Amino acid sequence: MSRYFRNIAESLSSLLTGMGITFTHMLKIKKGNVTLQYPEEKWPRPERNIGFNHEDYNVIRSRLTVDINDCIGCLKCERICPVQCIKIETEKAPVRGEDINEINHVGITSNGTNKVQVVTRFDIDMTECCYCNLCTYPCPEECIYMTGGPNSKKHPIDYEFSEHDRSDLIYRFAKPGTKEGIQKVKSKQGAQS
Amino acid sequence: MDGDLMTINMGPNHPATHGVLRLKCQTDGEIISGITPVIGYLHRCFEKHSENVTYEQVIPYVDRCDYLSSMTMDFGYVVAVEKLMNIEVPEKVEYIRVVMAELQRIASHLLALGVYGMDMGAFTPMLYMLKERERILDLFELTCGARLLYNYMWVGGLSHDLPRGFVEMTYQFLDQFEPKIDEYDNVLSNNKIFVERTADIGVLPPDVAVNYGVTGPNLRASGVKWDLRKNEAYSIYDRFDFEVPIGEGIKGTVGDCWDRYYVRMIEIRESVKIVRQALAKMPKDGDVHKAVPKKIRPPKGSIYSRTESSRGDLGYYIISDGTPTPSRVKMRSPSFASLSAISEISEGWMMSDMISVLGSLDIVLGEIDR
Repeated sequence: MSRYFRNIAESLSSLLTGMGITFTHMLKIKKGNVTLQYPEEKWPRPERNIGFNHEDYNVIRSRLTVDINDCIGCLKCERICPVQCIKIETEKAPVRGEDINEINHVGITSNGTNKVQVVTRFDIDMTECCYCNLCTYPCPEECIYMTGGPNSKKHPIDYEFSEHDRSDLIYRFAKPGTKEGIQKVKSKQGAQS
Repeated sequence: MDGDLMTINMGPNHPATHGVLRLKCQTDGEIISGITPVIGYLHRCFEKHSENVTYEQVIPYVDRCDYLSSMTMDFGYVVAVEKLMNIEVPEKVEYIRVVMAELQRIASHLLALGVYGMDMGAFTPMLYMLKERERILDLFELTCGARLLYNYMWVGGLSHDLPRGFVEMTYQFLDQFEPKIDEYDNVLSNNKIFVERTADIGVLPPDVAVNYGVTGPNLRASGVKWDLRKNEAYSIYDRFDFEVPIGEGIKGTVGDCWDRYYVRMIEIRESVKIVRQALAKMPKDGDVHKAVPKKIRPPKGSIYSRTESSRGDLGYYIISDGTPTPSRVKMRSPSFASLSAISEISEGWMMSDMISVLGSLDIVLGEIDR
């Protein structure tokens, strides 16, 4: 009998404590509010300075971007990718480190490296990417990065990149027409010599 | 009174199975007489896949096994490979790893407890706990850019150093988090309805737990004082002062669902202690990339190394044949052992108690199926 009443008393008191806590939470709703009205409001992304000093490096994982003018076609990012979502094809340039105007090929990277290869295909399938960030470390020219990386001013940090067509998520960074262009250039040079 | 047994399928898609798990329950009326878990719905060939990628490329896959506590999964793997290669890791890296692993343990336990409350019909505590978990994920995002699957710990080091202001922000988080734990106790742990649904239910005796290989908080709740951080201190866990909580049967019997719940609650407190000590002792400078090998190519041989993940004893067996890709990676996952004991625990209990038992085991299907 006494146990019956004790149970009721315990239930009531524990319920009241719980309700009290939820009530205090309700009172400070303005201060501790964490719900965001999503499309209008967005969660602030951590702000960090940008640069290659590791302490300042902005590490946001977002979509991958390649500065194709800086890419030397070393295939290091393709090899390190655990899901093989980067596909690169290269063609040997006729003259090392020289611009080819027909296909807008830049011969020297911004780091001053003379390019040996012309990148004819640089595709990243963002549907396959697992955002591990492994590809950005080995790059000798620092030209592949998750947006929000070193050149984030050019590419705003962005988590929302849905597309209507799935094939639009395959990002093609090589300049269009490079493959045919370089073959044409080569055959022309072959005919001249 | 010998009626026919009825088979009831729970899952594969059921909100209380925490993933895709199918439980074939043999029921006699409403009493359970046996459970056969059917697993494999989340099988992603982790072990076979890791034979085809290099050692560093395994880490993103390891992340995805136990997606709720990726840091501790990474920790176990890198410790195993480092032992295989005899790498001495810088002090600073060790401290950062411990901080990250313990923050991850808090986050993982918060989710486990909150969702367990939700399984039992208490929705509000889950919101409070997820709010705090979100803050921890923010800290991780600040550090390595990812909120769930980090790829933060590398063999021999870390992908990034701590960002500026991380230590202060973590102290700030801990200061406002610690009073919240008492709040959780008031709102959920001592709630009469919750206690009635969990105390004395699904008792896992210590000998059964040991026979099934149950580890982690589930084993400690049964009264066995076994924590690899204490008993086989890996990394630098021997330098910290913390208690190993065990189930004491405060509300019912030792090893019941409430104990399994409450051990996690105390573990959160202990993890907070460890994070505070690690932040205080952490060396200010040091290069986190110093010991990262240029090429990860361990010598021929094999290693079995185990660490304490949020869910228990996480073991990696790695065979190396001297090439950059592992010849075999076997993972001993703690949730698998916990799940295998469910038939034994819930036999004789009602169908609704089985939900309580399943939630208290805190399984992650990604790790069971691998």
